Order: sequence, then C-alpha cells, then structure tokens
Amino acid sequence: MGMQSLVIHTWILTKRSLIVLIRNPFTFIPNLFISLFFLLVYTGGLSGISQLPEFDGADYLAFILPVSIVSAAVGGAGGAGQSLVRDLESGYFARLLQTPVTRLAIVLGPTIAGMLQLLMQTIIILTVAFFLGLNVAAGFGGVLVVILLAIGWGLAFAGYSVALALKTKNAQAAQAGTLIFFPLIFLSTTFVPLELIEASWLRIAATINPTTYLFESMRAVLIDGWVMGPILSGIAVITAVCIVTVSLSVRSAKRAFQRE
Amino acid sequence: MTKGTIEISNLVKKFKDDFIAVDGISLHVNRGQCYAFLGPNGAGKTTAIKILTTLSEPTSGLVKVSGFDVKKEPEKVRWEIGVVLQDTGLDQDLTGREILELQARLFHMTRKQAKERTSKLLEMVGLTKDANRQIKKFSGGMRRRLDLAATLVHEPTILFLDEPTTGLDPLNRKAIWNEIRRLNREEGVTVFLTTQYLEEADELADYISIINRGKLVASGTADELKDSIGADLITFEFADDQIAGSAARMLKNSGGIEHQGSRVTLTIQEATKRLPMLMEKLTRAGIQINELDISSPTLDDVFIRVTGEKEEGA
Repeated sequence: MGMQSLVIHTWILTKRSLIVLIRNPFTFIPNLFISLFFLLVYTGGLSGISQLPEFDGADYLAFILPVSIVSAAVGGAGGAGQSLVRDLESGYFARLLQTPVTRLAIVLGPTIAGMLQLLMQTIIILTVAFFLGLNVAAGFGGVLVVILLAIGWGLAFAGYSVALALKTKNAQAAQAGTLIFFPLIFLSTTFVPLELIEASWLRIAATINPTTYLFESMRAVLIDGWVMGPILSGIAVITAVCIVTVSLSVRSAKRAFQRE
Repeated sequence: MTKGTIEISNLVKKFKDDFIAVDGISLHVNRGQCYAFLGPNGAGKTTAIKILTTLSEPTSGLVKVSGFDVKKEPEKVRWEIGVVLQDTGLDQDLTGREILELQARLFHMTRKQAKERTSKLLEMVGLTKDANRQIKKFSGGMRRRLDLAATLVHEPTILFLDEPTTGLDPLNRKAIWNEIRRLNREEGVTVFLTTQYLEEADELADYISIINRGKLVASGTADELKDSIGADLITFEFADDQIAGSAARMLKNSGGIEHQGSRVTLTIQEATKRLPMLMEKLTRAGIQINELDISSPTLDDVFIRVTGEKEEGA
C-alpha cells in the first residue's frame, strides 16, 4: 500500500485518460491546429518586421515559435481540468471515491495525461518549425529547455484548470475559465519585443504578465543562446506560478474529497 | 460476526443550512437480509445511504457497516460494500471490459486477477457479447447491469442500491430484480435498497422501513405492515336498499360499517377467517347475498397512511 499503490493507481488512471483522449481526437486537434496556424501565418505574414533594429536581426520564426508552443501547452494542460469535470458530471468521480483508490491519483492521472499530450504537441510544433528552417542558438540543450519550460507552464495551467474544475464542478464554468488564456497570451510581447509596444497600458500589462517572462526565456535560448538572465527569470516566474496554482488545486481537491 | 450487518443508532444528519435530513434513525440489518428503505422524494433516503456508503459524514449517532464505524474507518467500509447510487456513473468513453478491469485494479487486484474477475462478471450480467463496445453505445438497461457488475468487482458483503430500477422499462426492471434476488438468496449478499416503488419493496425486501421527513414511521415485513393498517374490507351487495339496511344493523357489532344503497361495506380484522361466521349469521336471518368482495390493504394504503402523502411515480 502507500507509495506503491499511489504509483499503480496513478498509472492506471493516466492510461485511462490517454485512452479517452485518443478516442476523442477533437479535444486536442483544434488546439494543435490553432497553434500551428499561429506559427505558419505569423511567420509568413509578419516576418518582415524582424528587419526592424529592435529585433537585433532575430529570425521571426524563432521569435513567434514560443507563442505557438505556449498556446498549445495551455490547451493540453486545460484538458486535465476538463477531464475531471467530465468525471464529476458523469458520476464517475463519485464512483472512484467509492473505491480504495489513492485520492491523489484521481487528480494526478488526468494531469500527467495532459502533460504527455502537451509534450507530444510541443514536439510536433518543434518539428514543423525545424522544417520551416528553425535554427536554435543554444543547440539541442536549448530545445530541451524550451520543452521543459512548456511543461512547467503547462503544469501551472493544469493546476489552475484542476482547481477551477473541482471548485465549480461545472463544465461551462471550467471552460469559461480557460479564457484567461487570451489576456495571458496576447497582453504580452506576443508579436513584437517590449521596446516596440507603443501603448503604455499594454507595456504595463506585458510587464506584469508572467507569460512575458516565459516568452523571453524561450526566445533567449532560441535566438541568443545561453543568456542566463532571461532564462533564469523565466524559470523563476514559472516556478512561482506553479506553486500558487498547484497549491490552489490541492486545496480544492481536499475540499472535493472531503465528506459532506 | 458482524460481517454483512448494518447497525444504526440515533443517526442525525444536519446540513449547513440547518436542514435536518435524517432525524434520529435507528435500525439493524442482519447478514443476508434484503432491507428496503421506502419513502417519498426528499424523505432522507439518499442522505442516509450516502452516510452508510461513506460519501457523507453523520452529524451525530453511530453507524456501523460490517462492524466498521463509517466515521472512523471509511476505508475499511469501502472494501465491504458495493454501491449503486443515483449520482454514481461510469466513464462513457471506455468499454464495458475496460471499466470493470480498471475497477478491479483500483481494488488492488493484479492484472491477471482483474481480467479473470471481469470475464466472470460480464458473463454473470449477460454482457459478454457487448463487452468491447463503448458504454455510450449501451442501452439504459445494459448500463444498469454493467453498473451492478462494477459494484461487485471486489465481492462485497453488502450491496447498497439507491433506487435501482427508477426509469427502467418493465423487462429491464425484472432483469435487475432477478439479479438482486439471486445475489441476495444464492450468494448471501446483504442488500440495502431505497425505492419509491412499493411494488419493488414488496417484491424484493424481507424487511421494510418507511421513512418520512427524516424519521422512520413504520417498519416490518410487507405482511406485518399491511396488517398494521388494521383491517380488511368486505363489500356485500344485496337485492335492495331495505335488505341491505337490515344486514347493516345485524353486522354493526362486527366492525366498522358503511351502508349505501344496496351495498354494505364492513371494515374488519382477519376477514377471511371471520367471513363464514358472518355469512351464517345473515343466512340464518334469511338474508341473501348477491355479491361479495374481500380486499386486503396494500402497501400503498400503508404508505399513504403513515406518510400522509400520495406516492409519486409508481
């Protein structure tokens, strides 16, 4: 019991989430499509602006790639909460509570499945980017850093979506909660560096938006190589957000598992 | 041995908004018994069953399932019980076989044990042929049978069923009844079920408690409950009003009498036993009976009497 059953139960429930995911491809295809759309359309349509001096000669493909990866990550991670809401609505959640399953595994299963989905999506997007001629300044290690940053961000968002799902117990509310994705992605240095943002409100928003630091750290390894300043601040911000959202999800999980 | 038994004393469940859903219930269920909780909507049935199945905590009182305290040892209780609640469901995207194997694995079986147990259960509920189809393609009756199979994975000693046949057609209802009866009689599983169908309680249960507004208002076997109503009804039909009148005068000491036209209705204890004597009395007085009808009280009568409400749904 204890640790061993946690591992077994988590594995069983992760496998189940993956089976459900594969049987419902339309839960991830649109999200992947939109992310690839960002990559292809913005690279094709906006790459001219990377001639501006503020870009420092950066390739626009490498500049926009993090946006594509992060939007895919958010979708994959949001799936963790969605799958819990599905279980709450179908009554399978109550059925699971009737078994001696390790409670943590009920939340970990869909979360890990969401992370695996995110990993696959990130690899697909990176592959497409390489076909489009991506050069990573920090080399293979840099690619790993990008993947790790994506997973870290995904975990932060998964924590948020799980907390929301268990708190609202309502599919529409959980779905509506993922709309936070829009300000997070677009009120940032999404298309141009901070120096090129003219409106001061957008500058302020971009400065306080944690996603900005994620973009900057990914861009650092993609464009400039091992520049530790932005890389470390990205990692620090992600860690902080993760701590907040994961503890929120743990709190709402404890409530959901508590008996009336 | 306390395995397979349920012991409740002075159970109270008060919700945050001060609503008292269960108000001082005490009862005992023996091993192998089929116990029915009968009551109108909102009587406290579901709240009680949620406490018994560890989904909810009692406010006060002692509840022991298979000898384990539901408040202090919920994990141990979960190994003893199988539960079909109205708000438990199955993952519709999985197949019947997958869901049973998963359930078995969560009850700490090895992969091999889980496979064997699953095949056995599928056969038992007659779903072997459809085992590899997704549950969302199952009919309502098939789903209910699979649900039952899922609760039996770990061979529980007590089965809790919250309105097991609500919304089913008569054929599927019979199938579920047969399965419950088989589990109860052949495998010795204790069954605790709630229902709002009197017919269901009458058909399955060997002990019935009627619950209303959180309190037990009547308990006993179906026959005891019917007897508690007190009396049967004998309806006599005579040739005319006048004859009926004199018959009513003669019978008025035997029980409650009602005379209307050529008809006389007598409310009396143990009607079948006392009928020959009554007939002899009338024949001796030269009164001829044209028609005669005896009716016993039904569970409906008991239910309406003790709850003061009309039954819904059935």
